[in-house]
Amino acid sequence: MTESKDPAKPKGRSKKVKEGVKGVLYGMAAHGHVTAALRTRMYLEHLFMFITLGDMLGVPVIPPYYSLRILPYAVPNIKSWKQRVFRERDFTDQVF
Amino acid sequence: MADFLGTPFLWVVATIVLYGIAYWGYGKWIDRRVWRSDAKRTTPAHMYMDGVEYFPVSRYVLWGYQFKSVAALGPILGPFIGIKFGWLPALIWIIGGNFFIGWLQDYGAMMLSVRKEGRSFGPITYEFTGAKGRTNLLAFVLFYLIIISAAFIALIAVFWSKYPGTFIATVGIIFAGVLCGQLLYRVKMNVFAVTGIGLALVVLSIWIGVYTSAQWPSSFPTVLPLGDWTVPAWALLAVLILYAAAVLPTPLFVQPTNYLAFYPAYAAIILLLVGALATPFTNISVTMPPGPILFQADTGPLWPILFVAIACGAISGWHSLVSSSSSSKQLDIETDALPVGGGAMLSEGLLALVSLIAYMVLAPSFFAQGNYPSWVEGAIVLTSPFLGGRAAAGATLTVFFGLVLVIYALTVQALVTRFFRLVSAETWSEGRFRVFGNKHVATVVGLGIPWAFAVSGSWWALWLYFGGSNQLLAGLAIMLITIHLAKVRAPTRYSLIPAVFMIITTLAALAWQVYFFTKAVVDYLNGSSTGIFGNVRAPINKAPYALVALGINAVFVVIGAVLFLVGLSMAIRLFRSYLSSKAEARVKAPAAADGGTRER
Repeated sequence: MTESKDPAKPKGRSKKVKEGVKGVLYGMAAHGHVTAALRTRMYLEHLFMFITLGDMLGVPVIPPYYSLRILPYAVPNIKSWKQRVFRERDFTDQVF
Repeated sequence: MADFLGTPFLWVVATIVLYGIAYWGYGKWIDRRVWRSDAKRTTPAHMYMDGVEYFPVSRYVLWGYQFKSVAALGPILGPFIGIKFGWLPALIWIIGGNFFIGWLQDYGAMMLSVRKEGRSFGPITYEFTGAKGRTNLLAFVLFYLIIISAAFIALIAVFWSKYPGTFIATVGIIFAGVLCGQLLYRVKMNVFAVTGIGLALVVLSIWIGVYTSAQWPSSFPTVLPLGDWTVPAWALLAVLILYAAAVLPTPLFVQPTNYLAFYPAYAAIILLLVGALATPFTNISVTMPPGPILFQADTGPLWPILFVAIACGAISGWHSLVSSSSSSKQLDIETDALPVGGGAMLSEGLLALVSLIAYMVLAPSFFAQGNYPSWVEGAIVLTSPFLGGRAAAGATLTVFFGLVLVIYALTVQALVTRFFRLVSAETWSEGRFRVFGNKHVATVVGLGIPWAFAVSGSWWALWLYFGGSNQLLAGLAIMLITIHLAKVRAPTRYSLIPAVFMIITTLAALAWQVYFFTKAVVDYLNGSSTGIFGNVRAPINKAPYALVALGINAVFVVIGAVLFLVGLSMAIRLFRSYLSSKAEARVKAPAAADGGTRER
């Protein structure tokens, strides 16, 4: 995935052109697939979090013993999980 | 010199210059004066960055993504109906429509979503028109998706039927895609190695297509020996492939197949553009009459039919969904909206232009036969002079360009079917009809109804309904943009006039279609069956199937009437919302198009 531009050092014209062409090709050929893969991973992570924290939310999915064993892996993701789960999503968000 | 002026070269150059003015002149002005885009304002990509849906992406990547998402079969086939009114009106609409409306919609939809924290059109419609407005939009989109699916399934079937060898090549590409998916995700092979293997398999698939079409030009397996039932049978095969594409996990089928299909599809665009620019050297002249022809017996009057026949390339409602669905969530800075949204749309206009040129260089007799995949013929005329000549490369180019048409239809249709499934799940998630929200039931419905239309209705009827609903969606999208601009006290006339024009034009086109089918039904009841048979496809266009043909015509009347009424109701809601927003903005404290932080 091509992230936002790095403002640290100015780039030469040829490098900019090269990056632009690379970016366009990547955008056309693969960007949609990469974001689709990321979304799939996101839904799997939601499932993982729900399984882990289910008993704390009043939905006991697995026994608390196992929840506690995998809690250290789940805790770092709680913030982003909350952010994603609570986000308003409509059918028009799923065109691509 | 006379020859030079007779080639399409000057039209290509003139269009590029005018699109340049649209981008650097009108576009920059709208960006600065109406939307007041600000590179320092935080975009949703930064504000809500989660690395999945919201994350900043370079403008080049996003432009490529946006262009790939919007450029499909629309700009390629729309000009076929458009050119029946003469190539000049079609060209003027491709230039003028994109100049004043097309890019404005794509860019405006993106900016609107960015200013509304990355929200898509569903929630924005809810905010502007209430729950009923959103339900209205949902109903409209469901109908719209069924019509798109019907048109695309019909086209895939006809392409396979018309160009022997393309079905085998398509199956080859699908196998190559599935294999590449396995190599990539299971074997964990390097993406470049997988791409290399995939491309080799794509070339092999095309070669097998060419070979089989030469060996069996008019017999099985390249041609189905089913007579009038050939197209319905090909359509059924297309539906089976699309079913698999819609229900299987994307990494298994859709994703790798679409990735591989990208290469031949875009190679064809580049070849066509080069072919159009090289016409002064290849001595290819415009042979179609410029027009204007104000009325066509089989399609209707120039206004409004031309404006819905050529949708993508001039303006398309689908683009507003794409712009506000994913691109707006990944826009790095606000000022990127113009190159990404507007720039991609203007580039798509060039694709429509080169497709129009592919039709312009053909003899008028091609069109008299209703030979709508003649884009392939035009593409061969344009490109064969620098690809080894028609005699040597004609067979290969026929399979190649025929395959490209199939690929465009199939890849987009796979996504449309998946989207239909998601919309169905949203619509019937609870209640007594919740079975329609089920993955398999929704997919069967989303392919079964379109298949029935595809094998019964004439292609132009489906295409004009598709264009009508697509353009109406565009009009409604521009109306949403106008409401936002009114709310923030920005100038609205630059979007209001296009919105009103599009809504009136498309409602008129839908009304014309309803009239056309109703007239055929009434004529039949009065003893003339020419009309109802003219609107359906073989084999039901014959006397033994008269009642079936009558039923199909009646169904098309209902479809048109429903689209018209749902669209009209949506347009009224939006117009009322616009008037109240305008009145509200008049009495409220000063605000600006940038969301209200900067006073005017």
